[in-house]
Amino acid sequence: MALEDICNFKDKPTHKTFPFYASEDTSVSVFTEAFNFKWRGEMTSKKASDVPLEFHVPSLFKRPSSRASHSVSVRRPFPLSHGTTTLGFIFQGGVIAAADTRASAGGLVACPAVHKITPIHSHLVVTSSGSGADCMLWERILTREIRLYQLRHKRRLSISGTAKLLSLMLHPFKGTDVCVALTLCGWDKLIYVCSDGARLQGDIFSVGSGSPYAYGVLDRSLSWSLNKEEAILLAREAVFRATHRDAYSGNNVDLFHVTAEGWRQRQREDLKEEYYRDMEKRGKKMDLTGLFS
Amino acid sequence: MRQGVVYINTNFSSVSGFDAERDSMRTCLLTFECCCVCDIQKLLGRRSHGSAGSPVPLPFPMAHGTTTLAFVFQGGVLAAADTRSSCSGLVACPASQKILPIHSHLVGTTSGTSADCALWKRILSRELRLYQLRNGRRLSTSGAAKLLSHMLHPFKGTELCVAATLCGWDDHTSLSGPSLFYVCSDGSRLQGTLFSVGSGSPYAYSILDQGVQWGLTVAEATSIAREAVYRATHRDAYSGNCVDVYHVTSQGWTRRTREDLKEEYYREKESRRQTHEAEKKML
Repeated sequence: MALEDICNFKDKPTHKTFPFYASEDTSVSVFTEAFNFKWRGEMTSKKASDVPLEFHVPSLFKRPSSRASHSVSVRRPFPLSHGTTTLGFIFQGGVIAAADTRASAGGLVACPAVHKITPIHSHLVVTSSGSGADCMLWERILTREIRLYQLRHKRRLSISGTAKLLSLMLHPFKGTDVCVALTLCGWDKLIYVCSDGARLQGDIFSVGSGSPYAYGVLDRSLSWSLNKEEAILLAREAVFRATHRDAYSGNNVDLFHVTAEGWRQRQREDLKEEYYRDMEKRGKKMDLTGLFS
Repeated sequence: MRQGVVYINTNFSSVSGFDAERDSMRTCLLTFECCCVCDIQKLLGRRSHGSAGSPVPLPFPMAHGTTTLAFVFQGGVLAAADTRSSCSGLVACPASQKILPIHSHLVGTTSGTSADCALWKRILSRELRLYQLRNGRRLSTSGAAKLLSHMLHPFKGTELCVAATLCGWDDHTSLSGPSLFYVCSDGSRLQGTLFSVGSGSPYAYSILDQGVQWGLTVAEATSIAREAVYRATHRDAYSGNCVDVYHVTSQGWTRRTREDLKEEYYREKESRRQTHEAEKKML
């Protein structure tokens, strides 16, 4: 580890990193010689390339195949349905990431003011969907690994590299109940990483139960040449329409704008106001619904 | 498979729009029969005559693979739908008709199992025609929706799958004007001003929510409906091919020429490419 190298501290790795399952008491550290992050220009920096890419992942099953042998098995209290709307798209002015703020647990709104967009570092923001707990945990793990990489190799890992790293870390949990669908929004790239193993780069992504509603709005008006205000308005409108129709999305909208200078967060906005404004705009329509009863 | 004929006698003594006096003078006894090719008794869960027929399993899971929409505005009712019939991953028919006219002033969009929808639309048309002949006037959209809902009710719990929106224009004195009802084989019957049904409906809903208002002109309404179906067909795998648009007014329904959305996709791609090039040149 970086700090250990600096301090010349040698210790046996008998650490219990995350007590993921009560019956587990060993952690797994993965040494991968295959991960030689060679960068263009510099051939080798002997000190840096000798550091193995060691990252500590939460404990796995002792025998992943025989789950029946586990004494403690946690059943899900309610079926997961990715109840959220998050979206991200690229345009000439950078990348916009937007999301609602409702955390739902089955039919209950567990929290109306959750942060679904988290900054990883100054130029990378990640939107989350799936299980809230899993997403929070994996965002922290990712942030830590990225920071460690930066300390060891004296440069930031690229967005594609971050996505690949996250995908590799999530891979051992494929087939388990981990449910994480993150969109990494860098200043010029958008990559979707999912606990099923998908890792896709694209220009526009929307994830969650409200995503079809957002896609309709985005497909219609998105173009490369939007200016910053138009892009922000479009993202807001897309989340608003999704929260209107989807029961599991709602409350407020968070918006991040990532450029080459870094990310900037727009103030959280309550969509209830937007709904009333929209209804007023269609004032005539509201009065006439009484006729048909 | 045994042939079974079921007679369902229902006494509709209070159809919407009917006054009490006429009620007493003429007992309105609506008899409708539906001929079903499968064993109704088995479907209704009663053991009958020791028959060895087991219920026919569905060949593939149904997913309402379609995009249909309808909304009400000052110019009447507009209904639009795509034309793709899918069987799981196969496009069984790229040019099917999902909007079926029921009579001159009533049109129904279909979603669910195409076979069930086609059958029930025909049954509904026949019953409405019989009502018209017996009573000298057309049944209102609300009444037609109620009729369809009650006809479908015995099949609740079976694998029948029909989700239709009835779009009509009523000329009764009490409630005249455009009217839109959603009827589903689960039993729901909802009145509304905007409905979209099918796997592509979320994509269409957001476009419609943005643009649909009472005061639209016919051209604007058609354009929004077309765009909504187009966006849904773009994102949804089970919707696609062409778009049908029907417009119902006091004069009856009119149908717009079927339009292939492939052309629209290429037109949009071309226009985006051109604006992109123009932007690049300006820089």
